[in-house]
Amino acid sequence: MQRQRFYNLLTVALLLAVTGGGLLYTQLAASAYIQRIVVGLGISIILVVSLNLSNGFTGVFSLGHVGFMAIGAYTAAILTLPLSLKRVNLPDLPGWLAEVQLSFLPATLIGAVLATIVALLIGISLMRLSGPYVAVATLGFLVIVQVVLVNWASMTRGSRTFSGVPSFTTLWWVWGWAILTVYAIWRLVNSSYGRRMMAIRDNEIAAQSLGISVVRSRIIAFCVSAFFTAVAGSLWAHFILSFSPKAFYFVETFSIITMLVLGGSGSVSGSIVGAVFITVLSEVLRNAERGISIASIHIPPMYGASQILVAIVFIVVIIFWPKGLLGDREIPFNRLWSRLLPPKNEKQGFKKEIPF
Amino acid sequence: MKTRSFLTTLAFTTLLVFALVALTTAAGAESIKIGAIYNLTGGMASLDVPASNGAKLAAKEINSAGGVLGRELELVMYDGKTDAATIGNAATQLVESDKAVIMIGFTDSDMTLAAAPIAAKAGIVFLTSGATSPRLPEQVPGYLYMACFGDNVQAAAGAEYAYNEMKARTSYLLIDKGMEYTLGLGKYFKERFMELGGKIVLEDTYQTGDTDYSAQITKLKRLGTRPDILFISAGPDEVGVIVKQFRESGIEKPIFGGDGDDTPLLVQIAGKGADNTYFSTHSLMDAQLGTEAVKKFIAAYQAEYNAPPENAFAGLGYDTVKLLADAIKRAGSDDPDAIRKALQETKNLPGVTGVITYQPGSRIPQKGVTMIHVKDGKFTLAAEVVPQKVPAP
Repeated sequence: MQRQRFYNLLTVALLLAVTGGGLLYTQLAASAYIQRIVVGLGISIILVVSLNLSNGFTGVFSLGHVGFMAIGAYTAAILTLPLSLKRVNLPDLPGWLAEVQLSFLPATLIGAVLATIVALLIGISLMRLSGPYVAVATLGFLVIVQVVLVNWASMTRGSRTFSGVPSFTTLWWVWGWAILTVYAIWRLVNSSYGRRMMAIRDNEIAAQSLGISVVRSRIIAFCVSAFFTAVAGSLWAHFILSFSPKAFYFVETFSIITMLVLGGSGSVSGSIVGAVFITVLSEVLRNAERGISIASIHIPPMYGASQILVAIVFIVVIIFWPKGLLGDREIPFNRLWSRLLPPKNEKQGFKKEIPF
Repeated sequence: MKTRSFLTTLAFTTLLVFALVALTTAAGAESIKIGAIYNLTGGMASLDVPASNGAKLAAKEINSAGGVLGRELELVMYDGKTDAATIGNAATQLVESDKAVIMIGFTDSDMTLAAAPIAAKAGIVFLTSGATSPRLPEQVPGYLYMACFGDNVQAAAGAEYAYNEMKARTSYLLIDKGMEYTLGLGKYFKERFMELGGKIVLEDTYQTGDTDYSAQITKLKRLGTRPDILFISAGPDEVGVIVKQFRESGIEKPIFGGDGDDTPLLVQIAGKGADNTYFSTHSLMDAQLGTEAVKKFIAAYQAEYNAPPENAFAGLGYDTVKLLADAIKRAGSDDPDAIRKALQETKNLPGVTGVITYQPGSRIPQKGVTMIHVKDGKFTLAAEVVPQKVPAP
């Protein structure tokens, strides 16, 4: 047991060192373009990891999470919008809101709490559904959010561009939240709550027969994941700076689900791998589709080829790894450590993977 | 999981990162670099592709005539993919690795606002080809210029034409509340029409993507009086269907609209119903009925792309590059700040979509509005209107 704890500490230290080093390098030496990609990647990681808690670990296949992202984005943006701009852009705000201007953290938290409350309210009824029914019902939620955003013009400017959001999102905010999200969800998944969620996913009836409250566990997963999704929404809003409701619809939904499925639902590290993979792949291809000259060979620009190639890669991955790159397993750090630093008085290696 | 497949994944990802670094460090030349971002794929492509083609054509013509200041104009083209995050990345690349001295692009305000602040932060002008929201320039102070007129101008032109020429006194108003463009256009029309003394007898809305307008039609027919005209503020995808359904229900009054109607879809879908429709747009893209500049442009476009210009946005993209080339020539250098000053002083520059002048302090050009009348399934010129008064943005 002590040995495992030591390995776990090593893993955490290694991951933090790699992430911290990478971020420091990005901040100090990388171009603004690479910095933007790293910020976008951090937001994607939060979105995918939190969606995974509900879709991958609990088996509640939600298609409505982008709705929570929208709630987080709009709430936080309304709260942080400078007062002078508020009078111009949102003249019909109720009085108490019109005079409020918050800093980034409280605005983000309020947006996230609001999304959690909404998740709780709809979760009470929706979490009684299973399988494809819950997917369709959450899709309905996404449509409702979209209609509300478009029609509640006094708060959201309707379908017109919501602009003037202050540029608060930095590398450190995003990755601070990303690390917190990964840590929180990791701990939750490996607690007794998480075990119940997975039991429900794997066999609902068996779980029930053991006395697990299916609805309660699902609601917990749904709410926690809504919270972090809304945080990502706020980070996104203060990164992109001007947006309209259509940014929070099917395109965004499926882009997150692609990352999730490709990395492996049911694996936290898989979510991260999926987000990194898709982000880097689409950026590389986006630059490549503009035409390449290698020596004397010149390939003319083929705009749109990047989306097609990403889709092909996705299909190929799903054919060869139907459960995603990592499936429902985690990256086996402990096995790596036990090979590098074999315990002296125990038999070599662990057969079982023990989470930290 | 198997360590091997993990290592494969890791190796592949590393390879991708290296490829990314290698691709972004491209070599530069002595040309003047113009950053261009258009949505060549995705939802906005039907407007952005013609605009980008127009821009490329203009750059080609300028270069074959010797370029600007003896140097070649190089259009560094990125695909925005109708996605704000991608557009932000592309704009950053244009500033940073391509060292663009000015940026152009887009026909939509959401997309323009995703790129323009990044250009402004680097001290570079963003000149939008076809985003017509008159509130855009104030949202990115100092650096966002429009090559097209604002929606307040075209709506005022439509209102004045309806009131003065068609003697319309009452109007019905139908607005798509799903788009910034249609909301603004409808609002400005109402303002100017009422200011002139007209009356809006009924105002109704629908949502982008709706296909059945019978509810709106019933409401209009239940009204005791028949309005003189119908102003329908719609996007290019819906306008044909709306006009068709209104006509099929027996409403024969003239239908008015904005440059969203400037699409072949209007006649293709509405058929004979499209007759007696009037709309404001940037220019009449017709090889026989257009102005001399338009005829020349259509011939050149046809020769380059084997197809006539899809819509007026092609002309706007063309004028965008002509506009910035003129500014660079007068600035005498490719210094971004000098270009900005020269652009602001643009006076009486003839273009395909009208004569362009920027008034001091305004970054929206003063331009005439073309009113089109659909007759026997053909777009014909009704009038060139310079509105007497324009509603505040």
